[in-house]
Amino acid sequence: MMFAVLALVAIGLGIYALHLKQKVAREAQSAQAEPVTPAGNGPPEPVTLYLASDLDGTLGKTQVNVVLPNERSERDRAVLRTLLTEYLKPSSTHTIGAGSDIRQVYLMDDNTAIVDTNAEFADAHPSGVLAEELTVASMVMTLNANDNKVTRVKFLVNGAERETLAGHADLERFYEAGNIGAVVRDLQ
Amino acid sequence: MISTFPVANRRSRLWLGLVLLLAIAAMLVRHKTVFAQTPDQLTIYSPQTTYSVGILNLQGKLYVGIVDVLEPLGSIEARPDGKKYKVKFTPPGGHAVEAQFNDGKEKAKVLGENLKLPSNFFIQNGRGYVPLSSVPEILTRLFAKPVQLHAAARRMFIGDITMRFSLALDNSKPPKLIVSFSAPVNPTIATEPGRVRFTFHREPVVSNGQDTYTFNDSTITGATFSERDGLAELDVATTAPEQTNFADGGKTIIIAAAPPPPPPPPAATPAPQPQAQAPVATQPKPPAQPRFLVIIDPAHGGTDTGAKITSSLLEKDVVLALARRVQRDLYNQGIASYMLRNSDVTISLDQRAISTNAARPALYIAVHAANTGRGVHVFTSLLPAENLQRNGFLPWDTAQAAFLDLSGVAAGSVAAELENRKLPNMTLLAPLRPMNNIAAPAIAIEIAPPDEKVENIASAEYQEQVAQAIAAGIAAVRGKLPEVRP
Repeated sequence: MMFAVLALVAIGLGIYALHLKQKVAREAQSAQAEPVTPAGNGPPEPVTLYLASDLDGTLGKTQVNVVLPNERSERDRAVLRTLLTEYLKPSSTHTIGAGSDIRQVYLMDDNTAIVDTNAEFADAHPSGVLAEELTVASMVMTLNANDNKVTRVKFLVNGAERETLAGHADLERFYEAGNIGAVVRDLQ
Repeated sequence: MISTFPVANRRSRLWLGLVLLLAIAAMLVRHKTVFAQTPDQLTIYSPQTTYSVGILNLQGKLYVGIVDVLEPLGSIEARPDGKKYKVKFTPPGGHAVEAQFNDGKEKAKVLGENLKLPSNFFIQNGRGYVPLSSVPEILTRLFAKPVQLHAAARRMFIGDITMRFSLALDNSKPPKLIVSFSAPVNPTIATEPGRVRFTFHREPVVSNGQDTYTFNDSTITGATFSERDGLAELDVATTAPEQTNFADGGKTIIIAAAPPPPPPPPAATPAPQPQAQAPVATQPKPPAQPRFLVIIDPAHGGTDTGAKITSSLLEKDVVLALARRVQRDLYNQGIASYMLRNSDVTISLDQRAISTNAARPALYIAVHAANTGRGVHVFTSLLPAENLQRNGFLPWDTAQAAFLDLSGVAAGSVAAELENRKLPNMTLLAPLRPMNNIAAPAIAIEIAPPDEKVENIASAEYQEQVAQAIAAGIAAVRGKLPEVRP
């Protein structure tokens, strides 16, 4: 009898603990899914975005006004966060993973930008050749359009190299803006 | 509340609680073990192809997916309908036949006739599983052909396709062991001290009734045939280094003593007389005929599931089904092809490129699937063109750059055939691995749903249309892609 009661109590506690864990996970996911917002001060500046569409597999050029920081790598980071913010909106025609963010942009002397994304950017990105290519192409072209000194982009995920974005797009390579431009012409 | 129970002390309660937790943990572990999938594979030999399917061990009983077994052999439509699981199979050029199974039941129907399975049929994640031992009976009814299952060896033979062999020792000097087969073979050969091992992965080689041979010879002392883990092996025991040669178009294997290393030429001796009969190994091989081989790479597989197309449909399964159709349609066009995977196995990107480059194909085609967009996307590699010599050493990261022009020709031809069939398509460049590492013309296909119903991506009709377009596109460009010597 006592064994049965103890078993019931243990099972009840287990179910409650599972419920709490799921609730915390839901809250964390909900908080992460909020669109990131660029940090900065001063008047808004025009920012060119290359926005992808999953509906027809195209990239479209658009302009928004955003307050940007003064420091160059911070500006580049803010530009990319603006792009991700657009993708994280419910009305976006291109899907990226909830909670995607840019941790840092490192600028090298040879016109190379190292874009360090957070883990969610890759872990939660929809898998597909075209879907991943659209994300990579739009980020490289957006960066190049707003900072023309950046002609080469390398992606890191959480500070480390990763083989592919979500099983398809190669993240081990450097992306040349000129080369990506050929893709964008096909996609426009 | 607990204090009201007649358990006298706290230590007893603690022990009881501990026992309870251990019991719950044991139950959880058992649950996981029961449903654990072993990496077991069944190799199936059929007149059309040789392929492998995963074996599921459920409470000590072996099961295979009925769709996995039938898919490479024709068109199949399978769907769970409540507790029922209906399968409609159409062999190439034949009529559709149907079977019906019931989740959790032994009762099944094949071609309208009752069949009692040795254990319950079950559905897991939308897939239907039948007991392994029932597969020969099911297939015999569906195909009206004899089907043999070598369950312990994990091998199954559909139709009268088994290949037997004979051994004969030629006591000439040096002695030779001649192994004759009824059809050409291409085994993996491993030489170790004391033996030469031939492993038959794709050939339906079976025992001829005698598995152990003893020879009255001092160098080739015996041979043993065995089959296990989905393959067959012939072990030849030797006491001296041996070498192997193929003859009769690959139907005969000759094992003979390796010639001793040539002695250093003496300083002043007359020119050596030509030998009356050169050893088999030193005979120059005739130049291999160029051939047009297509490597088909069904992307992902095993632990790499690829995209989740729907809650029950994974990219790795969709692309394997499409790749098999492409292979069949290429065969119908008279084009030889090889699949980098024909079962649910994990292969790294580098390994895919290594295997492809080693095969020296005329064309590499990767097959992907996605749930976004519509129709078919045809990709070539996103690389700047480089002035690389195709026949020289190529940098690993940009090997494909030397072939971009030919890859573009192949992609254009496939896109044109898709267009002819009014299938929506796009031709694009993509940063897709391992295409950059492929030292041959290379394209990738990404199949997306044909309409707003994402699950239609797996429909037999749609996949067949796409596969036929791909095969026709490749056939149309055959004359423009260089054939390669093996």
